[in-house]
Amino acid sequence: MNAMVELKEVTKRFGSFTAVDAVSLTIRSGEFLTLLGPSGCGKTTLLRLIAGFETPDEGVVLLDGAEVTQLPPYKRNVNQVFQSYALFPHLSVRDNVAFGLRMQKRPKAEIDARVAEALELVSLQGLEERRPHQLSGGQRQRVALARALAPRPSVLLLDEPLSALDAKLRHAMQLELKRLQRQLGMTFVFVTHDQEEALTMSDRIAIVNQGRVEQIGGADEIYHRPATRFVADFVGQANLLEAEFLETRGAWTRLRLQGGLEVSLPAGAWPVNTSKALVSIRPEKVHVSKAPIAAANVFEATVTDEVFKGAMDHLSLETAIGTRFAAIVANESALQEAIHAGDRVYCGLHTDDLVVVRIG
Amino acid sequence: MSGFDLPLFPGERRPGWVGWLLLAPLILWMAAFVVVPTAILAVYSFCQRDELGRVVFEFSFENYVRVLSPTYLWIFVRSIGYAALTTVICIVVGFPAAWCIARSSERWRSRLVVLLMIPFWTSFLIRTYAWIAILKGEGLLSGLLKYLGVISTPLEILYTPTAVVLGLVYAYLPFMILPIYSSAEKLDGALIEAAHDLGCGPLRVFSQVILPLVKPGLYAGVLMVFVPAIGMFAITDLMGGARVPMIGNVIQNQFFQARDWPFGAALGCVFTLLFVVAYALWQRRSQPIREVRT
Amino acid sequence: MKRLRLLVVTVLAAVFVSAASAAKKSKELNLFAWSEYFPQEVLDGFTEETGIKINYETYASSEEMLAKLIAGDGAYDLVQPSDYMAEVMIRNKMLRPLDLKQLPNRKNIEDQFLHMPHDPEGKFTVPFMIGTVGIVVNTDVVKEPVRGYKDLFQSKYKDRIVVVNDNREIVSWALVTLGLDQNDITPENLKKVRPLIAEWVKLIKVYDSDSPKTALLGGDVDLGVVWSGEAARLWEEDKKFAYILPEEGAHPFVDVMAIPAKAPHVDAAHLFLDYIMRAEVSKLISDEFPYMNPNAAARALLSEEQLANPASYPEGMDYMNVFRDIGRGAAAIDQLMTDLKSAQ
Repeated sequence: MNAMVELKEVTKRFGSFTAVDAVSLTIRSGEFLTLLGPSGCGKTTLLRLIAGFETPDEGVVLLDGAEVTQLPPYKRNVNQVFQSYALFPHLSVRDNVAFGLRMQKRPKAEIDARVAEALELVSLQGLEERRPHQLSGGQRQRVALARALAPRPSVLLLDEPLSALDAKLRHAMQLELKRLQRQLGMTFVFVTHDQEEALTMSDRIAIVNQGRVEQIGGADEIYHRPATRFVADFVGQANLLEAEFLETRGAWTRLRLQGGLEVSLPAGAWPVNTSKALVSIRPEKVHVSKAPIAAANVFEATVTDEVFKGAMDHLSLETAIGTRFAAIVANESALQEAIHAGDRVYCGLHTDDLVVVRIG
Repeated sequence: MSGFDLPLFPGERRPGWVGWLLLAPLILWMAAFVVVPTAILAVYSFCQRDELGRVVFEFSFENYVRVLSPTYLWIFVRSIGYAALTTVICIVVGFPAAWCIARSSERWRSRLVVLLMIPFWTSFLIRTYAWIAILKGEGLLSGLLKYLGVISTPLEILYTPTAVVLGLVYAYLPFMILPIYSSAEKLDGALIEAAHDLGCGPLRVFSQVILPLVKPGLYAGVLMVFVPAIGMFAITDLMGGARVPMIGNVIQNQFFQARDWPFGAALGCVFTLLFVVAYALWQRRSQPIREVRT
Repeated sequence: MKRLRLLVVTVLAAVFVSAASAAKKSKELNLFAWSEYFPQEVLDGFTEETGIKINYETYASSEEMLAKLIAGDGAYDLVQPSDYMAEVMIRNKMLRPLDLKQLPNRKNIEDQFLHMPHDPEGKFTVPFMIGTVGIVVNTDVVKEPVRGYKDLFQSKYKDRIVVVNDNREIVSWALVTLGLDQNDITPENLKKVRPLIAEWVKLIKVYDSDSPKTALLGGDVDLGVVWSGEAARLWEEDKKFAYILPEEGAHPFVDVMAIPAKAPHVDAAHLFLDYIMRAEVSKLISDEFPYMNPNAAARALLSEEQLANPASYPEGMDYMNVFRDIGRGAAAIDQLMTDLKSAQ
């Protein structure tokens, strides 16, 4: 796949604050890429640099191979769906959607056809004559989408477009956006701070933190093989523990986790010549049982806290020597023995579930 | 209080008797000081006069016939022309100013608005005299330009039409800036970015997005400048040397020097009619959008 | 209904109180006069002496005075019309005959001024100040002699002339220039002067009745036709401002004091009139407003320099050649001048 958007060593400063710090990023044609990160991390600035609303202090921006660094937004074949939708209040839905096409000076017949097509895509037929203030939040969101899509840009940028919607509508829109993207085969760059959203919709996710891209990869890779502490902590929940190298014997490496617990993992998983590293264990990977478990890494612990979350239970565990874990267990059928606070349990960790995260 | 069939928009309520009571002073004031005098004026305009210029109640159309004579029609046209020119200049100067103030940072914005309002704390007449001191042949502007070597003979601006327009623009500029500022401030910056995003260069952003959304302010500004400027004669007198009569001067003359009240009344009535027509047309064009709650 | 009755009672009570207070000896005087004519010193002196408070209201033209007097009859005790205006007012019975017994100082006034055309027996009015309308020349700038309107209104002085914003005055100058009677306002005469005035209008830069000396002092104009009081002040400021009575013909104007028919404080009015006819008081007025003082006793108190001011005491003035009332002619004049000014 060829690169649709390329950022090379792009830096953007606002006064003394560096919003984007020497970021290099390649977005492939036809992919759904999400920029994920906490508020203020720079993801929106990155989006605006692609759109053309900001000009980088250093570095270049390329669109479809051509350099556009200094090009203003109206000369880039990129459209944005704004967080506040930014629908023109003085225009009808039809005129809003037709806006970009009118600026391209297309013939009237073509505009009408494309507007109808766009509205059909987002399932908003019949509302052409309404004004934005006469629409619900969800409807406005879809008009914003239709408006951005109608001119058929090379790249569609979406700036947290679902944040104003209620949960149910949000989930529905997530799936619909994904479907749309597949259908059109268009490159989507999506910005959000909601990791669940990112995991649901994206082909690739770029984790952004303090102006830098910490990791970029598929959902599975980000989740199961976080490259930095931040990624491990930000995406999903993680038990992050300092680990000290003890010895490698044959196919296995032995580590001592903070608190004293000793565990094994495949020798290849531990980087060479490293005495200390950060290890991440996803809570749902901790197998908890009242009966003893047969596994490579087993330890006993007491359930110090239990939080009921519907389908899942969040447990806080503590070993005899003081190592603390979080575990997530499914509320299984009544055939299983239920686990409650105060219970003494056995915890098992599969060796593959210990992920080494680079320090820092 | 039923029986008043006012058309209602959804969400509006008919005013109860408390509402009418609160309105009563205003209504009485309007009736006593606006409706009644206008009616008196209208009656006078059809009368004739005695040698002292007082009204004699003999019906006649002659005043209106005279109003429609070329001399006075031309004076109307001229007054409207000056007012139109003033309005246009106020828009050209005032719009960018209002826009800049509206888009400036929070800290600066309030300061700039205060700066704009300060002249209102001084009497309008005093400010006009200040302009005379600046513009006269041996005034400040002339002195400054001579000092800088730009001119060698004294500046001749005062007592010319230029001075009149300058005075009018100065007097009415804040009335143009403030309503435009008010509209411009409410404009969401994201809309401008959206317009850029969809292919508008700076010019088209202005014509397609900014202008339509600031229109209410613009219309209000035009109304607040154009209409009063037609009748403004103090500036013509003071800064224009009273050389060229405006409609305001002529009407005043009828009541004083010319001792012809009925004719003055006729002029006044035609003038008022002009306002009403202009206002009605303008209001039609600037119909506000009614929000429908869904 | 109860509320209505209360309202009526309140109004009636107010009326009674005000009527009652009017019947007592006057404690107030409503003076309605030109805007630059009474020094504060003179007014204060009167109040100090008599205890009567003066309410001083001003106007900038005789017509304004007339209009306001008609509108507010009974509001004023003393008015200060010009000669022709007094004529009209007397004819329309708007003025009250003076009680000459209350005006002993009237003997100070030079006799000829007590028998002027507008009030031949001096029954209704007392002359206050006399002025003329003439030509002022900034002799630093204008070196050639200017003897009259023909010399003044030349194309070489285009845009350097100020005149009083008084349509009747301008028309009268044109009439005398053509040798016609300044008071003969007929359609034929107006037609005759029209082209002449049309020429003049092209040359005039400023029309200002309130303060024509401003333009002259400011250097925006070099010549003007102004009130003599303005010219006198200019001369006091700088002797370069010469004053000439136009050779085609000049007219004086006499501002008189009179009591409106419905004046509420007649006794106070007489007191004030007598007061200002005192030699010392009249002198004070002359000091500040250097018009020609008809009070012979006051003139005797003036300084050499004051008497030498050519604008205050011009030579060769025919004091009987005043403006007369022209009735409806005022409207015709206004139409003519509006037309001509507008045609620029």
